[in-house]
Order: sequence, then structure tokens, then C-alpha cells
Amino acid sequence: MPVRFRLMSMRTACLAGAAALVLTAAAACSSGGGSSASSSPSVQTSNSSIKAPPAKAGGALTVLEGKGFSGDWPLGFDPATNTTGSADQDYYNAVYGQLFELGDNGKLIYDLATGYQYSNGNKTVTIDLRPGVKFSDGTPLTADVVKWNWTRDLESSCTCAAEWVVARTNPKVTTSAPAASVIKVINPTTIQVNLAIPDGAFINQMFDSIPNWIISENSFNKMGEKAFAQLPVGAGPFIMVSDSYSNQIVMKKNPTYWQAPQGLPYLDNLTFKSVSGDEAAYEAMLAGEGQVYTDMSTPQLLTESQQHFDVLNQLGTSPYDLQLNTAVAPFNNPKARQAIYAMTNFAPILQNIFKNAYPVVQGFTGPGGICYQASVPGYQGYNATLAKQLVQQSGLDKATIDLGTISSSPVAAETTQALAQEWSAFGVKTTLHSYALNALIQAFTANAGKSWQAMIQTAGAYDPAGGVGVGFRFNSTSPFSGVHDPKLDTILSQAAASSSLSVRCPLYNQAAAYIAKNYYGPFYFSFAPANVSVKGVAGPGLTTPLPAVSVTPAILWEDVYYNPSGS
Amino acid sequence: MALAQQVQLQREPGARTDFARRVTGSPALQLVGRRLLTAIPVLLGVTFLTFVVMNLIPGNPAQLILGINASPSAIAKLDAQLGLNHPFWDRYWIWLDGLLHGNLGIAYSNQQSVNSDIAQFLPTTCWLLLYTLVASLTLGIIVAVLAARKPNGIFDRISLAVSMIGLSVAPYALALVLIYVFSVRLGWFPTISNSLGDNPLTAIRALTLPAAAIGFPLFAIYTRLLRADIVEQMQREDYIVTAKAKGVSPWRVLVRHATRNSLFTLITLVALNLGTLIGAVAIIEPIFSLPGIGAELISAININDLPLIEGIVVVFALVTVAGNLLADLLYTVLDPRIRYGRAAS
Repeated sequence: MPVRFRLMSMRTACLAGAAALVLTAAAACSSGGGSSASSSPSVQTSNSSIKAPPAKAGGALTVLEGKGFSGDWPLGFDPATNTTGSADQDYYNAVYGQLFELGDNGKLIYDLATGYQYSNGNKTVTIDLRPGVKFSDGTPLTADVVKWNWTRDLESSCTCAAEWVVARTNPKVTTSAPAASVIKVINPTTIQVNLAIPDGAFINQMFDSIPNWIISENSFNKMGEKAFAQLPVGAGPFIMVSDSYSNQIVMKKNPTYWQAPQGLPYLDNLTFKSVSGDEAAYEAMLAGEGQVYTDMSTPQLLTESQQHFDVLNQLGTSPYDLQLNTAVAPFNNPKARQAIYAMTNFAPILQNIFKNAYPVVQGFTGPGGICYQASVPGYQGYNATLAKQLVQQSGLDKATIDLGTISSSPVAAETTQALAQEWSAFGVKTTLHSYALNALIQAFTANAGKSWQAMIQTAGAYDPAGGVGVGFRFNSTSPFSGVHDPKLDTILSQAAASSSLSVRCPLYNQAAAYIAKNYYGPFYFSFAPANVSVKGVAGPGLTTPLPAVSVTPAILWEDVYYNPSGS
Repeated sequence: MALAQQVQLQREPGARTDFARRVTGSPALQLVGRRLLTAIPVLLGVTFLTFVVMNLIPGNPAQLILGINASPSAIAKLDAQLGLNHPFWDRYWIWLDGLLHGNLGIAYSNQQSVNSDIAQFLPTTCWLLLYTLVASLTLGIIVAVLAARKPNGIFDRISLAVSMIGLSVAPYALALVLIYVFSVRLGWFPTISNSLGDNPLTAIRALTLPAAAIGFPLFAIYTRLLRADIVEQMQREDYIVTAKAKGVSPWRVLVRHATRNSLFTLITLVALNLGTLIGAVAIIEPIFSLPGIGAELISAININDLPLIEGIVVVFALVTVAGNLLADLLYTVLDPRIRYGRAAS
């Protein structure tokens, strides 16, 4: 009998320990040769479409979204507080629609807008709104409502704030209200934006920024910010019926959608479910619990999925690059940077790990975006002999490189491991770091940007001037750049200012060559995750490839249908 | 209080003090009191440890909320709003003060009250824990008794083989196997369950595979240890020999005498395994997309949402403490000597 009481005492003593173990276990889960130039002013098409069944109206679709990216929407769907960037664009697009949509082959599709004009040396943009559009609460979508939306977007203190360079009521405060002259309502269906500097990429930048989503001012004021964010009201193809944060969203067809007379959207109901990742989504689709999974990137599962489902590889616009921090040793030494270029042989990595799923690139443009340039003049390729010399000359063999990346991307994680392995053959030691998003931000910004050495990140967007484009990774003013070169800044600014691709693309080619010449960071492949759908599902982004807006493409949900019988 | 006791207390004033003396002098209640007192430092320790660990993780919550392009002034403003500009000890004290007033704070990630977040997600986890415990215990006891009935018999050997599998497999690995077999191949249960629904049958279907993934290893432990204890009781204890000599049927001896005494071991085991159970819940819920606080805890840790993490850890600690208290009370039910204080002396 005394044994039992000893057991009781032991159990009590174990209480705190057990709880601590739970905490520790949970915390552990959180842890981080030159070639000729070619350029094209048009968007490239590479990926083929999947044969789609005839369009069919009605039915319901369950879309699975992976945690850590599009499967999280902790703050809901107020564009002005959208800290998750374009990760949650599926939901925003379904509820709000878009002023401008990015279609197949980079085609600009007018959704809630009907046109635009640049004037005043690309400092003024005039946008025509579609007449007669109504929000699902019955109120009209007018230029006044758009002005109210854009003012909020400019005043927002979040990362999502509109990045238009405009005059402010208080020039010292970047979130102060825009000056009265900035947004002008010309008439109920025409609105004008007056910028402080020329921006020829204004419309392309819309695709992955919050001004493209217009919310109902009336419902927002009635419901209040919090309630509205959970059950937003827009003029898009679907109405949100229920939303349990980062778990499940149920939507139904919007009967007042402007394309309703044409029978759009096709689907009656659209449900989004958050799943833990690629594996869970794959199993759920096999079990018939979901018809679509967006953004699959695990190589083995992509191969498996092709045996059961339609797998559509998207047109990548966001190449992975190895950012080198030129502000600190060892990469303040150009020879150390060149050594990285020379000792990286990406072909076997791409073949053995990623089954050549993504095209090799040497610059910040991808085949899905504008100004795609497959090879860059003066780009230092793999050269083992040169690498050995450079490693010794630069002292890299005596240093240990801190190489980091974001923890939520299996592709990035596998890439860092493969690189570390390759470099070890040259006697270069590497310490790998896998960061959750906020820790990654901290790593970039700590010690005035001098705490990090190398990072694997994506650098690129449909338009290099948009979102997480080239400037985000290479501009002096960006906190996420390891390059501080005024000449490069100037080239990039000039490229963004023009609205003509024949002017912009040569400038971007020049910037890519300049980056290569100075060994600012090697590029590897143009990544875009695949969308997986069961047979019978069809639509832009599911059976026909779309350019990735920023890493992922924006599926046009109004055009998606489900015809399981195929007849 | 029973009606008869109340009536008696009204009639006899002296009986009130007598009753109070009996209540406060009850060894069982004294045990409860002692356990509740020891729970205070446990809870303090757990919350403090969590606070320390989460403060060691790099990253600024204000930056997380505002996003990567937020200006330093906006971050500083939000830091002040969230109280992040206070020293470590102040922040811990403020949080503790809130806890004592029933306010677990505001979650960084969704700007909602942690209380309401937990209230939203706790029921799913509670149902899952309950289902797992009831199923693993029920099956564990049945199999252990049947195995102990004839040691080294065919049933005992089969149960040993099954238990060895249960002891060897990790819940997350088992979860994937269960999904493949019972969801993908047979279609009996869902692979993902973003809500339990209003229909109890739907909820049972949704919880069966997660409960099996967590419960199978527990079932294996319970079975092996309970079976060993029953066999020992049956072979060595005098009271078993006495019962047999009195002509009590073998089944009755096994179930009413040996198994009842062996339940002490089982209760201790269940209480010891509560931490493991809760840890498994945090891993299994996300796999099945169950909207429980285990999944919430993992999400919160990934984004350094300290108030939400602290709130969930407190709940888990409370569940563990309450479970152990319940175990203590069950000891008193099973053994009258504890109830009447003899064992304590």
C-alpha cells in the first residue's frame, strides 16, 4: 500500500514538469559564365492548360488552404488591416471582386473598373468605374465610396497600406491623411489619383495591393470595424455567410453581382477550409472532402497528386534569390560574394529535389511576369576551380555563414539545406536558421540591418515594381535589402516611372546585369506553387495557368465551375 | 446540503458547529485543500516559465500585428498600447493581475479577448479529451481483465502484441495511417473537421480518428500495466485466496476484487499521463483541422502571440491540476482508509 502513496507524491511532483514539457514541446514546433542577354516586352506563356469540361452553373466547391500561408486569416478581411498580404487574396477576391484582374497571359481584365488613363507624365492616373455596380448590401459602388476606401488605405499603419507616393497633410507622418488634391472624384464613375512622383506601374501594382478591393462604406459604418472584418460586404461574386477565423469560411453566390445576368458566378456555394498543410490537404482530397487545394509545393506530393487530380503549375513570377548582406562581413567583400555564385551549382538541386519543376533564372523576373529575361549577361555561374580560389582569397573557409529563410516554406527550407551541403565541399561552413515570419523580420531589422549575413527569399512579382518585387530585396530604402547602392536605386526608380514596357524592360535588364556584375545575390529558380483540383473543376488558375501576382496567382472565382460528370 | 441536515441544523444550534467541525476535519476535504494549495505554485511556475520562454523567442509582436512595412513610430505606438514597453517583471505582474480578475488579455493575432478565443475553442478539445480518455480506459480495462484471466493464453498474447504496437507508435504517425485506412480507403471518417457540427453523430465521427490516434498508445499503456497488476493480485494477495476459499466465482474474484484493487495503479497512470495527453492534443488537432485550443496553441506559438499562449497554458495547467485532484478523490472512494484518515496517520 505505501507504494501507492509514493506514486501519488511522485505524480504531484510530476505536475509542473509535465506542464513544462508540454510547453517546451509546443515551443519546439515554432522554431528557422556569362551568357547572352534576351528580353521581351511581353509576358511569356509556358505552362499548358488542362482540358476542362463544359461550363456548368450551380453546385458547391470546397477549397482547402494551407496553414502558415493562405490558411490563416486572424484579423478577418478588412483590406486596411490586411497584414497577411496577398496570402489571403482568394477570400478578398471572392467577396470584394477587384477593380482590375490579372488574367491569362497577363491580360488585364476590367472587373469593377472599366478603364484607366495615365497623364501628367505618369503622375496622374484616372480610373473609370463600372456604372451600376452595387454592393451586396444594395448600396452603389461610386467614386465617393472608392475615395473613402483609398483614403483609409493610405492612412493605414499596417504593412498593407497603399504605397502610393502622395502629398500628405502632415509630410512627416507617413500615415497622415492624403492632401485634398491627391484623390479627386471627377464624377460618380470617375476617380483620379495625383501622385508625387511618376508611377507607370500603378495599375500593375494594383494586382497585389489593397486599393484593388473596395469595401462597402455603408456596411462598414453600420457594423463597425471588427464585425465587418469578420463578415465583410463587397461587390464581388460571393457573399460571406460565416467565418470562423483561420478555420472555415462559407460563401454563397451574390445575386446582385454585376455579372449575374451573364450567369456568373457559376458556383452556388464556395467553402474554404484551413488544413495543416500539403499532406493533410492531399489526404482530404483523396477522401473526397475537398475539391481544390491551392499552393501545393511539396515535391513528392505533387508527383503523387498528378496520379489522382489535375495539377496546374502556375507561371512563376517570383524567383528565389540568395540575399547577401553587403553591409557586413564576409559579404562586404565582393570576392566572397562571387565565391557564393561560383560554388553554387543549382542544376542538381533543381533536378534531384524539385524534379525540374521550376525554370532556372539568373535575375528577378519569371516567365509569368513582364520583362522576363531568362539569362543575364555577366552572370557568374558554377565554376568549381574559381570557387576554390575565391573561397581562400576571401577567407570564407575560415568563416561560418549564417544562412536563414522563412520556416513556412518547405521549398526554401530544402534549398538552404542543399546549399549548405554544396558549400561544405568547398570547406565553407554554414549555420542554418529557419525563422517564423516575425522572427524573420526581427532578423532583418535587428542592429540596423547588420545582424544577418545571408537569406533565401523570393524577389519578384508580376511587375518588378509591385509588391515583393525587386526593390523589396535590393533597394537601399527597404529594410529587407542587403544592398545599398544608389546607382541601382536610380535604375529601379527609372524603370518604375515609365508606363511603356519598351522603356521599362531594358532598364530592368540593366538592373539585373548590374546586380550580377556586383555579385549582389544569385538567383536560382522562378517559383510558383501548384494548384490541385479534382476532375471536373475548371477555371482560371485551376485549369488555365495564371501569372502569379506575387508568388501565387489570384484565382478568378467567378469563372470557376464544377462539372463532375464532365458532360 | 441535504434537506434533512438543514432541518436538523435549524432545530439544534449546537449541531451547526459540530457539523462544521466534521466537515473541516474530514481527511478527504483536507486532502482536497492541500492539493488546491499546491496547485497555486504549480500554476505560478507554469505561467512564469511560459512567460520567460516566450520572451526569449526573437520577434516583436507589434511588428507582427502591423506587418513588415510598419514604421518605427507605429510600432512604438502599438508597443505602448500593448504594454510591451514595460519591463519584463511589470508585464508579468500586469498579466497575473488580469488573470486574478478573470481577464486573460487580448490576443495579438486577432485582437480579440483571449477569454472568448478560449471559450470558442475549448469545447472541441474537451470533447476530444473526454472521448480519448473514456475510450482508452474502457477498452484498456476490458482487455486487461480478459488478458489477466488466463495469463499467457491466446488472448493475453494477442493483447500483448497489440499493446506493443501501441507503445511503439507515435500519435502523429498513427494519425496518418488511420486517415489513410479509415478515411481515404474506407471513407468511414472525415480527414478534416473544421467544425464538430450540431449533430452529435457528426461530432463523434469527427472525433473518432483523432481520439484513436491519441488514445491507442494510452490504451496500450493502461492495458499492460493493469493486466500486470491484476495478475499480481490474483497470484499473491491473501484476500484473493480467501475469496476463492469462500467459493466466490472466479469471474467475480477477478472483477470485483482484483480489478478493483488494481484500479489504484490505473488512476495513478491516468493522472500521470494527463500531460502527455494534452501534448498529444496539441499535435493531433492541427492534423485533423480540429478547431481546438491545442491547434490554437501551436498557431499562437508560431506567431509569438504571448497572451493567447499564456491563456491556453493556464487552461491546460488547470485541466492537469483538476485531473490530479479528481484522481486523489477517486483514491478516497476506492479506499475507505484514506477517506477516514487512517492511511494518512
